Amino acid sequence: MKKVTIHTSVNHKHYELEIKPNLTLLSLLREELGLTGTKCGCEVGECGACTVLMNGKAVNSCLVLAPQIDGQEIVTVEELAIGNKLHPLQESFLNHDAVHCGFCTPGMLMSAKDLLDHNSNPTEEEIRTAISGNLCRCSGYQQIVDAIQNNNVSPLKG
Amino acid sequence: MKQFEYFSPKNVVETCALLKEFENDAQILAGGTDVLIELRKSSVKPPRAIIDINRLNELKGITETESEIIIKPLTTHTELGSSSSIKKHARLLHIAAHVIGSPQIRNRGTIGGNIMNAAACADTVPPLMALDATVKLLSVNGERIVPIIDFFIKPYQTIAIKNELLMEIRFPKLLDSMKSMFLKLGRRNALAISRLSVAAILRKSDSGLIQEVRIVPGAAFPKWQRMTEAEKILVGQKPSKELFIETGKRVSEAMISFTGRRWSTEYKEPVIAVLVRRALETCQ
Repeated sequence: MKKVTIHTSVNHKHYELEIKPNLTLLSLLREELGLTGTKCGCEVGECGACTVLMNGKAVNSCLVLAPQIDGQEIVTVEELAIGNKLHPLQESFLNHDAVHCGFCTPGMLMSAKDLLDHNSNPTEEEIRTAISGNLCRCSGYQQIVDAIQNNNVSPLKG
Repeated sequence: MKQFEYFSPKNVVETCALLKEFENDAQILAGGTDVLIELRKSSVKPPRAIIDINRLNELKGITETESEIIIKPLTTHTELGSSSSIKKHARLLHIAAHVIGSPQIRNRGTIGGNIMNAAACADTVPPLMALDATVKLLSVNGERIVPIIDFFIKPYQTIAIKNELLMEIRFPKLLDSMKSMFLKLGRRNALAISRLSVAAILRKSDSGLIQEVRIVPGAAFPKWQRMTEAEKILVGQKPSKELFIETGKRVSEAMISFTGRRWSTEYKEPVIAVLVRRALETCQ
């Protein structure tokens, strides 16, 4: 199988990669680039655990063929925190107890980021639509919705 | 995943040449939301070549003329759903684009892929059929334009031959007097595959009588079709709940006469009737 050369940007870092074409973006991120924050769940586009941003839009990285990111910009969950400083959205997830087992969290964060990048003050319905492609097996949806809705506010804990 | 050769042609001419070269052994890759799932299945023989058409900018975008809407096949469901032309002149297609898959799927999946994959549950097809759409196909042998009503043979099979590329989808704008609706029923609200759906267009005269009606159910028949018999009982009539209930019953009977009674009939029989009634009642 002939390899394919691609030029791409992942988390604002430029890569020139020679890859096998039968690789998904998900495998490329996790296995070739060591970016394991993006999770591998169902691999058929139903669970959303593998959600990343492609040119600013949420996509299932399990349904993107790796050669297709040639010339495109990918952002993964690793890009949210700066050093040890969490992104406000991540802080908000912690403050709202929106992380249970944590497996869906990276995908939820990326779907939420896509939403908030395009709509800084979404309604609850818009939030629920934005994360409708992300399954939380612990079913902690309400906390996740709250965390996204109040992402700039630290709730009083009590 | 299976092994294959990957091509990413830069224009339509190159694409058609590749399709000819690999004849029956090439798979076009657009949004990939169906193709990648197929490529991972161990039971399916993989194609020798994957032809990724995403570089073909001439296959992207929505344009309108005075009387028509032209959609290029690489238009994603997100783009379809956010187009003001589609919202204004083909409301039922606008609605359908919003209920396909999930945001992630809508950001990648394309209208062309939805048509060419030809799954019985493809949500853009019933609206396109109600809109009297045509599709344009291109190959090294030339171009042809086919009404979408004649395009499908059975689920996952169309009249397009393997070396043909879908170039555009085109339909007349709905008149202001034509109101439309698309309703879909899935097993849950988000990310659901249509169990049944209905596309409906209703035109009323100034005096309030029904002048024209088009009804196309989705996921109900082995092949999509207009419900001409059921449509007939509406024309010239004054809209009423009783009439819409009767129309729903006719569609339900038509469905059973085609598919026979199957394990799912007990469920689908009343549900399709209600969907038809609701679609007609809510056409706006």
